[in-house]
Amino acid sequence: MTSDHRAAPVAILGSNTAAVSPSAQTPNAITVKGFKISTQKFPILKAEPIEAMTKKLGISPPEMIFGDNFVAIEHEKSGWAINFNAFDALDRVDKTGESMLKVAYSKEWQKSREATHDGIKEVVKPFDWSYSTDYKGTVITSHGHDFQESSKPIPIELLKRPDPILFFDEVILYEDELADNGITMLSCKVRVMPARLLLLSRFFMRLDNVLLRLRDTRVFVDFESAEVTREYQSKECEYEAVRQKLASARDDIPAIMRDPNRLSDILPTIEKRLERASLANQWED
Amino acid sequence: MSDLDRAIAQLRACRLIPESQVRELCYKARELLIEEGNVVCVDAPVTVCGDIHGQFHDLMELFRVGGDVPDTNYLFMGDFVDRGFYSLESFLLLLCLKVRYPDRITLIRGNHESRQITTVYGFYDECIRKYGSANVWRYCCEVFDYLALGALVLGASAELEPTGPVYNDTALSTNDDNELETEVLNSKGDVTMSTYRPRQRTSLDNGSVSPTRDQVPLRTGAPGTGASGSGAGSYGSRTGAVLCVHGGLSPLIDTVDKIRLIDRKQEVPHEGAMCDLLWSDPDEIDGWGLSPRGAGFLFGADIVKQFNYKNDLSLIARAHQLVMEGYKEMFDGGIVTVWSAPNYCYRCGNVAAILELGEDASNGGTVTRSNGDYGRSNGILSSAVDKPPLRSPGRRYRVFEAAAQDTRGMPAKKPVADYFL
Repeated sequence: MTSDHRAAPVAILGSNTAAVSPSAQTPNAITVKGFKISTQKFPILKAEPIEAMTKKLGISPPEMIFGDNFVAIEHEKSGWAINFNAFDALDRVDKTGESMLKVAYSKEWQKSREATHDGIKEVVKPFDWSYSTDYKGTVITSHGHDFQESSKPIPIELLKRPDPILFFDEVILYEDELADNGITMLSCKVRVMPARLLLLSRFFMRLDNVLLRLRDTRVFVDFESAEVTREYQSKECEYEAVRQKLASARDDIPAIMRDPNRLSDILPTIEKRLERASLANQWED
Repeated sequence: MSDLDRAIAQLRACRLIPESQVRELCYKARELLIEEGNVVCVDAPVTVCGDIHGQFHDLMELFRVGGDVPDTNYLFMGDFVDRGFYSLESFLLLLCLKVRYPDRITLIRGNHESRQITTVYGFYDECIRKYGSANVWRYCCEVFDYLALGALVLGASAELEPTGPVYNDTALSTNDDNELETEVLNSKGDVTMSTYRPRQRTSLDNGSVSPTRDQVPLRTGAPGTGASGSGAGSYGSRTGAVLCVHGGLSPLIDTVDKIRLIDRKQEVPHEGAMCDLLWSDPDEIDGWGLSPRGAGFLFGADIVKQFNYKNDLSLIARAHQLVMEGYKEMFDGGIVTVWSAPNYCYRCGNVAAILELGEDASNGGTVTRSNGDYGRSNGILSSAVDKPPLRSPGRRYRVFEAAAQDTRGMPAKKPVADYFL
């Protein structure tokens, strides 16, 4: 079901389809049946905007911060809109250090240092450096078009149909190599068909030998009915448990550990939410 | 044409050399590297480069911008492999150049030059894919174990010779009271930024009288070198040495000499000074701190200041962290991060930079070994109360972008529409 991974010619981490040339691309946009879908891809931020963002966020942003990138869906008639951007996603990262993870060899590392450096025990600016976020997009709403809890799932069968794709893009919002202890990445892709669209915002984090984490937000829009469905799924599993599972199936473990699409089928779901918003004009019908 | 020259030509064309030749190359490289100390002494002029990460075509661009080996001396601060598509071609070419021109190119170890890291981040897989076995990976890892941990650049000039017409601030450049301290050039060689500082008048050699400009500089060049009274205006003041390491400092290391005591011929350990030198990062903090990740040190401006003072250094050059502008000076210019992988991972869109340190011609090219290396303290001045302040070297940054897409032999990556769910 997840067929979107192109085999990279070499094992670099994450998807490499969202490449950007140093010369920035202008915003891409399409309007279908009153819905405007736009994306913007720029290089990572320069020192000054990073400093400004650090101040505003209260934590230092990830190593690769695509602060100018976004994916947006706007419904022109109702003024409703949802967009995905790095700042808002990072603003939801724990800034206290309460849910702080430790790299696999942290104990070993610290133990070897205890004797020699009594003075250096202070963790500098603690925060969730894995940049785990439960970001579901930034919603701009009016006229009571808020998301409501729902039980109506996204119609997967309709999305499996080979309808023509009028617009497609993939945008990275941020990425960090966790100081060579794995990867954390928030990216967003969108495909627009004549009658509907699907957006997938995926947070993927692998802390080597510690933890795997996947948080997907899917936004489905049916243009005709102007109905928006948003599904949030959080999956998580200890690294070793996944490794054992793959080992028993004789799978190529390193390759799968890099591939969120395949991990998605393996990791257990720990949270799932479904919401709906109707954008049809309440006063008209 | 020797085998080695043929191998260089082949690798420059991004074509691999046979496994047997890799084995021989790695053997020769190890023989050469084993003779190098943990801290290699390099004379200016030298061009200091940061992470490459297997971005072969960008390495070619680096040589185009910075000059070819052996015309330009190079110092690479590690992380040759992983992440990019051409770790093998990049590392083997650098190694060939090292064996061919040992005095023209210096390679020091990055945290990616390690068995453990290369198995996770691409180099191991690339070796398997391109050579069909792990042999070449093993040969390369053995070379990694012999790479130096740092380098000291000696005899760098405090003042830069201007590259060309400086259009933006002519008034300053013609002003004898100022000297060119830093210059930033784009890949075409145009000056995009330059900074000046007041020319130092105090003779630091006798520590007292300031010579006026009419006086003959106290330390002139050696006779016959043509360097005497060169007008470069260095007036005999000293430029400290530049320490180059991949990551940064370690709380276990307070002198450069202590780096020399490390037993480096091993896999990068998880603990100890060797680990810190390859992994630690500068940060806007006071003193030392632990990384929130639970491993790794961060060090602040005061640590750099003390270390530089104690070791007669005027600058620490390091790599290890991605910076969008290609270089980033911190702590009043006491430390600089140099990053040489443009459009990192083929998706960051960042520019890269290399740092050129010029040769101090003011004393006839004679290098003052004043960095705790040669002529080390004789005890009399060991904790000299008032060491003369050192001048930082003139720094020329050449900034460059990723090689054009059509030279990299692979299709430009545009997102391909797919029926993701």
